[in-house]
Amino acid sequence: MFHVDLDDLADLVLDPDATPEAVRTHVASCPACRDRLDALLDVRRLADGEPLVAPPDRVRDRVLAQVRDADPGAGTADGRRPLSVAGAPAEARRSRNRVPVWAAGLAAGIALVAGLGLGRLTGDAPATPEATDPGTVVAAADLTALDSDAARGVASAVEKDDTLTLRVSAEGLDDSDGVHEVWLINTDGKRMVAIGFLASGDTGQFDVPLGLIEQGYRIVDISVEPDDGDPTHSGVSLARGELA
Amino acid sequence: MVTGVREFEEQDDVVRSLAARLVAGDESALEVIYDRWSALVHTYALRALGDAHDAEDVTQQVFVAAWRSRHTLTPSASALPAWLIGIARHKIADVREARARDARRSEAVAALPVLDAVDQSADGEVAERLVVRQAVDELPDPRRTIVLLAFWQGLSHTEIAETVGLPLGTVKSHVRRGLIQLHQQLEGVRHVPR
Repeated sequence: MFHVDLDDLADLVLDPDATPEAVRTHVASCPACRDRLDALLDVRRLADGEPLVAPPDRVRDRVLAQVRDADPGAGTADGRRPLSVAGAPAEARRSRNRVPVWAAGLAAGIALVAGLGLGRLTGDAPATPEATDPGTVVAAADLTALDSDAARGVASAVEKDDTLTLRVSAEGLDDSDGVHEVWLINTDGKRMVAIGFLASGDTGQFDVPLGLIEQGYRIVDISVEPDDGDPTHSGVSLARGELA
Repeated sequence: MVTGVREFEEQDDVVRSLAARLVAGDESALEVIYDRWSALVHTYALRALGDAHDAEDVTQQVFVAAWRSRHTLTPSASALPAWLIGIARHKIADVREARARDARRSEAVAALPVLDAVDQSADGEVAERLVVRQAVDELPDPRRTIVLLAFWQGLSHTEIAETVGLPLGTVKSHVRRGLIQLHQQLEGVRHVPR
């Protein structure tokens, strides 16, 4: 037995008087067609809803920031991800990058050793005063890759004589074209500052204003920058870690 | 007539491939999915919870959860929106549960469980109404305008023909195809296991 096709059922909903008697008779005695008719009537009944309300843009930013932060395996085809700072939830960053107290101490120790080693090798920093008064490590961060949890070195903030120095000792950075620039990203996810280049490729130290870390600029980020004169972040981050 | 069906099938392919890209871990697919269905999820949460802040939170949670549990999605056209609505339903329930806990803690609202039951039974209909609304808004014009005039404004086919300046037969055909397309979208969301 043939069923009534959807077009005829639709006409039965829209203009019952114009529907041929045969169609109506069939539908009245056919449970399958009756069900489809009911479904169409349901659509007609539900077709009175108000327009949808889009969420504010900040929700989109938060979703993408959270997804990128919590799932470093995901990314674009080449394994790198565009930098997403706007609206990044500070808690999410912290939870992944939080350095336990003991590890922070350890990281700071390593950073100091690395700093001293550099001083001796290059001779550009007098080793003796550094050794006698190394300053106080106020915060440190383990740096990791963004697309995996691979270690990418350490950063530490050292306070000495009312100046704050950020020491970065990176490792395993991608050797691609461009220079490595160091940034501090605010945990509010909205602000960032460039603090200098890793001229040697992997290590460097940078004097920064004392209040900067207190203001929330705690996320150390190393980017690779093409030689294009554009002062903004290239969007390609090689390593990141939060000072704790 | 046939064009309506073809448009619909092309739409299906777009959604199916979006779902497949999401399952494969393509972040840009999540962005497209967000752009297309965040208003649906957000409006659903807004209606169900009546609070702008909670609705934003739920919207955020739904799409983050969708990403994290993307492996559980079957890449089919209708499964994707139904799946998002299913996740939203759970997140909305979580918020309600938390509210009920708070209310119990403050010993304020004795009648809350009853209210809640009423709310939740109406939820299905709220979601379906939103799906239909989204479906009409995604129709290409002039079909969208014609269907809105017919169903939302309650105009007769003759009145619509005068308003949009199209022959009566064309208007009727658009209304009929429009109804069927809305029906197909709604069925897709209804007949997916939750």
